[in-house]
Order: sequence, then C-alpha cells, then structure tokens
Amino acid sequence: MATSSHSNTDQASDEADTTLPSATPRQEAASSLPNQPPTPDAIVTTVTPGMPPAAADGHDVDGATRANALSNMQCVVDLADSVVCIADDLHERILQEIAGYNDRTMPDAQKALMRALTDDERLLRQYAHALYADAATFVIQDLKEPQHRLMALTAEAAEKIRRIGVIGEVTGLVGGILLLVGSIARGQFSQVGAALKKIQLHNAALKTLKPDSTART
Amino acid sequence: MARRVLVLVGLLVAGCASTGQVSLGEVREFADASARLGRYAELSRRYRDTYERESPYLSPQGERVARDTDARRRAVFDDFVAIQKTLVLYMQTLSSLAGDGRYDLSGRIDDLGSGLKAMTDSGLQQRHVAAYTGMTRLLTRVITSRYQNRSVDTMVRDGNADVQTLIDAMTVLTRIYEKANENERKTVLGLFNAEIPMANRNTDRMLVTLAKVHLQNKTAEYKLIDRRYKLAQQGLTKVALGHQKMRENMDKLSSEETRHMLAGYVHDLNLIRDALSGE
Repeated sequence: MATSSHSNTDQASDEADTTLPSATPRQEAASSLPNQPPTPDAIVTTVTPGMPPAAADGHDVDGATRANALSNMQCVVDLADSVVCIADDLHERILQEIAGYNDRTMPDAQKALMRALTDDERLLRQYAHALYADAATFVIQDLKEPQHRLMALTAEAAEKIRRIGVIGEVTGLVGGILLLVGSIARGQFSQVGAALKKIQLHNAALKTLKPDSTART
Repeated sequence: MARRVLVLVGLLVAGCASTGQVSLGEVREFADASARLGRYAELSRRYRDTYERESPYLSPQGERVARDTDARRRAVFDDFVAIQKTLVLYMQTLSSLAGDGRYDLSGRIDDLGSGLKAMTDSGLQQRHVAAYTGMTRLLTRVITSRYQNRSVDTMVRDGNADVQTLIDAMTVLTRIYEKANENERKTVLGLFNAEIPMANRNTDRMLVTLAKVHLQNKTAEYKLIDRRYKLAQQGLTKVALGHQKMRENMDKLSSEETRHMLAGYVHDLNLIRDALSGE
C-alpha cells in the first residue's frame, strides 16, 4: 500500500476549507473540469494542458501492435511527467510557506510538517522514477483510464496545492495522490479506484466547507 | 545459359566499377564520426546508477520504492548497451568497407552472439528486437566473410532500416534518461532548498555553509549531465539523418552535392563529440 505519511491528518484536513481560484494558464485550460469531483467519463474526455500532446492522442490508437506499443510507452512517460508536475507544485508550495517566516524561527511542529511534506514530495518523485523505468523497460497494459484520470487530477490537485490556505490541509490531498500514484507505479490497478475515491472525497470536502471554518494548524 | 553468365559477370563488374569509381572518403568519415559518438554508454551507466546517487536523500519509504526501481533499471541495462555496441560495430564495419583498415573487427563477432536477453520484458519493442537481430546477422555475415562480395552500397541498403530502428530505440531511451535526470535533480536539490532556509539558528551556520557548497556542486553536475543528454540526442538524430541520406543517394555518392552533404554531417557530429568530451 502506498499511503501518505500523514494519512492520519486526513480527518483534520477534510474539515478545512479553501477557495479554489483557477487563474493559472494550466488551470484555465482545465476549467472544463466540473466543480464537483468529475465522473470518469468527464475526466477521460478532458485534455490536460501542459502535458505532451501524445497524452491526448495516445488513446485513439487502436490499430497496429506497434502503434499500440508506442502509445503505451508514451502513456507511461506522460503519467510520470504528470506525477513530477504534482511534486513540483507541492515543492513550490512548501518553499512559499517557509519563505513566509522570513527570518523568524519556524516552530518545531511546523518544521516537522514541512519535512514530512518534502518526504512526500520525494516519494512522489520516486514513483515518477518507477514509471520512467517502466517506460524504459516494459510496456504496461491497461493504463489508459488511470492515465487520463491522473492527468485530469494533476491540474486540479497541483493548483489546489499551490493555492490552499493552510499548508496542513495539503496533507490529506497529497496522501490520496500518493496512494493513487503508488498503485499505478506498482501495477496494482485494483487499488486505483479506491485511491481516486479518496482524492475525490477530499476535494469535495474542501469545496463544500465554508472559508470561516478553516482549521488553522 | 552463357548469356546469363555473361550478364551476371557484367553486373558484377559494373558493381565493382561503381564502388571503385566513387570516392568513399566521406562515407568513411561519416561512419567514423558516427562510431565515435561513444559517450552513450556512459550516459546509460549514469541512468543505471541513479539509486546510488539518490539514496542518501530519501526517506525510508522513498528508499523502498527506489530499491525496486533500481532492480528494474539494472535488469535491462545490458540490453541498452548491446544496442549501442551493435550500432558502433556497424559503423566501424562500414568504415572498413569504405577502405579504412583501422578497425580490427575480427574479435568483435563474439559481442554479437547472445542477442537481447530481456526480450520478453524489455521495453524495447518487438521491432527494436527484430532490428537488433537483423543487424547482428548482417554484421556477422560481413565480418566473417572478410568483407568479400560486400560493397558499401549493399551494406547501407541492407542495414538502413535496422539502423533507423535502433537509433530510434536509443533516442527514446535517452529522452527517458534525461527526464529521470531532471527528476533526480529536483529530488536532491529540492531537499536543500527547503532545509537551508529553515536552519537559521546560530548553531546551524557551519552546516548551512557546507550545505550551500554541496548545493552549488550538485547544481553544476546536473546542468552538465542535462547538456550531455541533449547533445547525445542531437548526435543520434544526425547519425540517423546522415545514414538515411546516404541510403537515398547511394547511386550518386561521388556527386559534389552528396559529398558535401555527408561532409556536413561529419562536421556536425565532430562538433557534438568535441562538446561531449570537452567538458
């Protein structure tokens, strides 16, 4: 099981709220995503911006084995790229939080949280590595759906990570993403559905809570 | 019957004559320059050893995932290198056929014997494996026959499709190496970028200074490697294009235009090689 090192914080973070502006170019292009957790169909038809074009084209190829193999290989590379994207945004958000302290000393509890989040970031990068190794070593089958779901989630989750009000709220979301990415990277597709549900529930909770109920860490 | 023999002899003479008349200097130089694009193996090794470099920066959980990935990288490393070796041997053989005796290829046949080990679970696709097999067969034939009855144009014509496919495989792999290198850079440097600003107590000063020096060195290292991956991809593209053009212009190798074109590829390849080795 690939779980976040902070899965115990899910409860707390689900009680939190955040506003979800969609101002970046990446998010603008992903604005076709519904506010509520999207249905699988909706996700599959969404083209995530910022991803290599092959990611959008790949699933149309059903002809020759060669084309299939190529598209699967590209599919895995695109998946890895999108995991790297999430890690990048998490990293940016962590640095932003640290920079907020200027020269003041950060409380130990907050430092511990930052370190746990950087561990998560690096764990995400290890999953990306695993996917790159897959792409280089063998062609994974049946990846289309998880790929498209993850691509769609990337834009939304990454934006949320950057915009989220209190960084402690990120942990539940990152935990869900780690579970999803870990399942895919290790070919445990039976767990993909559960991981997606976890992320979607978390997103839904974040969206429905009012701003004044924000839990401060 | 006699007429048939005559035609055959005529064809053979014509074949010899056509190879004999053209200047093969540019072909030889192109093959040499392509064969010497040798740093590819080093880049494959760098990718294979990712875990060794990264492991000090990982959490126990990350370490577990990394170890598993490491095993997968190592399992196919030999295949990746075999492809590169085969292409180098092809280019050296071509150079020998074009009149350069500098390569002693007699002992190299052994390198080709084993085929790709990880055929079933190698990410090399079926066409890559087929191309590898075709190429080793061609090379074995040429080298063991001591180049008799093999001319440059037959070699280039027979080999082109496989050359293109194998270069394609190497290019795909190099792109993946490049991406993995970028991910590794972020793993390593990212740790310092987060930790250095958090360590602002007086007692942290020495540690922060050392960390900054380390960060500088690692930043330079990753920049250098990234440039090498990009250069290697450029080199591979040049080799593929040059060989394709040679194939298309086989009947007019001695024309000024073709020679000039090949010389252009040689020039570019040498620049890339110098850039790769001059760092």
